[in-house]
Amino acid sequence: MEGLIAAAQEEGTLTTIALPHDWCNYGGVIEGFKAKYGLEVNELAPDAGSADELEAVRANQGSTGPQAPDVLDIGLAFGPQAKDEGLIQPYMVSTWDSIPDSAKDPEGYWYGDYYGVLAFEVNADVVENVPQTWADLLKPEYNGQIALAGDPRVSAQAISAVFAAGLANGGSLDDAQAGLDFFAQLAEAGNLIPVIAESGTVSSGETPITIRWTYNALANRDANADIADIQVVVPADSGRYAGVYVQAISAYAPHPNAAKLWMEFLYSDEGQNIWLEGYCHPIRYEDLVGRDAVPADQLEKLPDVEGAVFPSLDQIGAASELITTNWDAEVGVNVGG
Amino acid sequence: MAGVTVTAPPVVIETPPAIATPVRAGAGSKVLAWVIMLAGVLYFFAPLVATGERAFRAIGRTFSFEAFRRVITDPEFLRTFGESVINAVATIVVSLLVIVPTAYWVTLKVPKLRSIIEFITLLPFVIPAVVLVFGLIRMYSRPPLAILGSYGSTRIILICAYAALSFPYMYRSVDNGLRAINVRTLTEAAQSLGATWPTIVWRVIFPNLRVALLSGALLTFAIVIGELTVALYLGQHTFGPFMSNLVRNFVAEPAALTILSFAMTWGAMGFISYLTRRQPGKRRMRRRP
Amino acid sequence: MEGQRPPRSWNWVGILPFLLFSSAFLLGPAIILLVRSLQANEGGWTLGNYRQLIDPQVLEAYGLSVRISIVTAVVGGVFGFLLAWAIIYGGLPRVFRSLLTTFSGVASNFAGVPLAAAFIFTLGRIGMITALFGFFGIDLYDSDFSLYNFWGLTVVYMFFQFPLMVLTITPALEGLKKEWKEASENLGATSWQYWRHVALPVLMPSILGTIILLFGNAFGAHATAYALTGGTLRLATILIGAQISGDVLQNQGLGYAVAMGMVLIMGLSIGLYTILQRRAERWLA
Repeated sequence: MEGLIAAAQEEGTLTTIALPHDWCNYGGVIEGFKAKYGLEVNELAPDAGSADELEAVRANQGSTGPQAPDVLDIGLAFGPQAKDEGLIQPYMVSTWDSIPDSAKDPEGYWYGDYYGVLAFEVNADVVENVPQTWADLLKPEYNGQIALAGDPRVSAQAISAVFAAGLANGGSLDDAQAGLDFFAQLAEAGNLIPVIAESGTVSSGETPITIRWTYNALANRDANADIADIQVVVPADSGRYAGVYVQAISAYAPHPNAAKLWMEFLYSDEGQNIWLEGYCHPIRYEDLVGRDAVPADQLEKLPDVEGAVFPSLDQIGAASELITTNWDAEVGVNVGG
Repeated sequence: MAGVTVTAPPVVIETPPAIATPVRAGAGSKVLAWVIMLAGVLYFFAPLVATGERAFRAIGRTFSFEAFRRVITDPEFLRTFGESVINAVATIVVSLLVIVPTAYWVTLKVPKLRSIIEFITLLPFVIPAVVLVFGLIRMYSRPPLAILGSYGSTRIILICAYAALSFPYMYRSVDNGLRAINVRTLTEAAQSLGATWPTIVWRVIFPNLRVALLSGALLTFAIVIGELTVALYLGQHTFGPFMSNLVRNFVAEPAALTILSFAMTWGAMGFISYLTRRQPGKRRMRRRP
Repeated sequence: MEGQRPPRSWNWVGILPFLLFSSAFLLGPAIILLVRSLQANEGGWTLGNYRQLIDPQVLEAYGLSVRISIVTAVVGGVFGFLLAWAIIYGGLPRVFRSLLTTFSGVASNFAGVPLAAAFIFTLGRIGMITALFGFFGIDLYDSDFSLYNFWGLTVVYMFFQFPLMVLTITPALEGLKKEWKEASENLGATSWQYWRHVALPVLMPSILGTIILLFGNAFGAHATAYALTGGTLRLATILIGAQISGDVLQNQGLGYAVAMGMVLIMGLSIGLYTILQRRAERWLA
């Protein structure tokens, strides 16, 4: 480990991509990393999607400049694809064994980092009766108030919302059609509006109800407390639907040692706890709790994810395919013109 | 060019008035003009007023400057704006140096190539920004063209890319300006006075295109200040990424930022506009007796 | 022209700097775009990506993009022209001219998220003007009106189309010779006749050129539409973005092919515009 630290410090910088500061408290993670090891962190494109991250790796092959990313945080489905294309290199952190098998590549190419469950994020200033279940969302009082936090043809978060809705409406992890049907109903009733919700639009009241990962919703609740009263509700009828993202090191990383040190940091107790502060469940959560390594007050703030369902890679793949292909036809809101 | 007879009097350049035209508008025209102006003002100001309302009101739900204060006290605000302004000026220079001689040459010598040139200048509209930036990264990451090694050298590529992005606007403005002056006559007159091509372009064409150049410069300036995607993937810390960061998370700050950047850009443009009205070294050439 | 002319074949050298610069920063990436549109997602060469272009979804995207570009180019062109006319020849106070010019500079690139946000603040469900109407008892969103459809987007696009027209047509408007107006007045023509028979025909090549600029500007726009409608308005640019970027495994080859289709459409538009322009120029010769 000492050797790694020294080698990383010689490299001096780490280049990251697609890490918004308010997502899982990445802001805190980056500051913590910088403070602990004295490295610089060069942050690219915080809003980049997983596909863009892979494209950045592809385009920057052989480059050592400040726009070549070292480390990636991508959707689960992209892990195997990146591995097949030879875009990432394997690395097993020292705490490798405490990462659940279902969340990592056996050869060490990619590994789950954190998860959260889906919840309703509601601006209670605008919405009097905060909905508690998916069924509630269909009520007429929510007309024109519900928006997805992404384009369901493109965003993993939005697709997960549709998938989860299905679970509460007779669907299963193997069939997302029920979710599409539910959203078709929502659109028909006029409750669903074709706007992309984000922290700003929820706080302002433009999109008072949306469905997001708990960590995003809670982070927004805290950040904009002086503007709006935001409540986060895990829907009671779909159970807890969890989604995992994975980390990987670029095969062409200009600073491979810094990248490896970054991973060591993320998967150390300290790093995992910083994610926890961002309301994310770090992948080694069970292990940490088992060893009492989580401060009690942090534990209390976390949403309860007992019994959360984790769709497998194949299930997500099938659902994504179904939803992205049929969204326009079945749910597509009339755009006129 | 022996045997060409120049019949026009030598070097009469009617400098298009940059400030006011002594054309008297009839009463009917004036009313119409005011109506149009008013409609325009209403249309443009409504969204800005709404944004302002958001900026002043949102935090704490009462009227306050809090949002503005938060934005202004962020050290990154002025730093990134400054960096973008410098990029913008550099881009304008590069763009002018490439476009003006080209547009001039096309008009004068090779009008048949006009369509091809116009097609190329309109390409920035149909190449998606991500494709452009990743294409540039691929081209310049590897030897023998490995230019993207450092922040500074990447910045040069950024500026050149921005100049390319400004081509549609710059070319059209310059072309419109060239159509308004009699390029052929001017050129022949200057040549008969013994001027060489560089001199003609620099001392005859440029000064007569002031209005067109101003339009092109303003359009280019705006593009550079607000550009996001290319800067983001080239890892450049400019104003676009700064703004997008803020917009993602907060409610009032983006509104305040919009108002502020609008005002500051407007001010910077006013400055550019002022500069072009008082160009040192520009001489009015008078009719020789 | 009389006399000897130097062999024309060397004249193209004059645009060499332009060609070199464009190759380095535009044509290079464009060729990469072309190459990737011919590659299959799994590797190897294919025309399959292009075959997908006749899919009704794709054709609809092209149609939508072309429609909104034409509408905003024409409406933007007309009103922008009127605005430019008003400040140059309308007899308005002088200061308006520099104010509108610099304002147009800023507004021409005011797009994407801030612009969409500004209009949402104005005409969105809880927007300022919506509230104003509400005050008078009219519920805008109860009727067919919505900011989040084709016509809403058109209204928003005008914010950068008008200024673009103003700025770009000003050099041409300015260049109208005083003498022509005076001559036409001497001949007894009204202001309207002057414009209809003298000024507008003279300006037509420039107007056409600027309208194609507005067309291209709208055609390639995507950030504003995305910010406003969250991708529900399936413009070609948004379709491309969905295939190339995003968090879901998509069809990159298709994205590149659609982009090449846009290049083709742009090329055709320029062809059309060139024909119109030659006709307009003929009048002037």
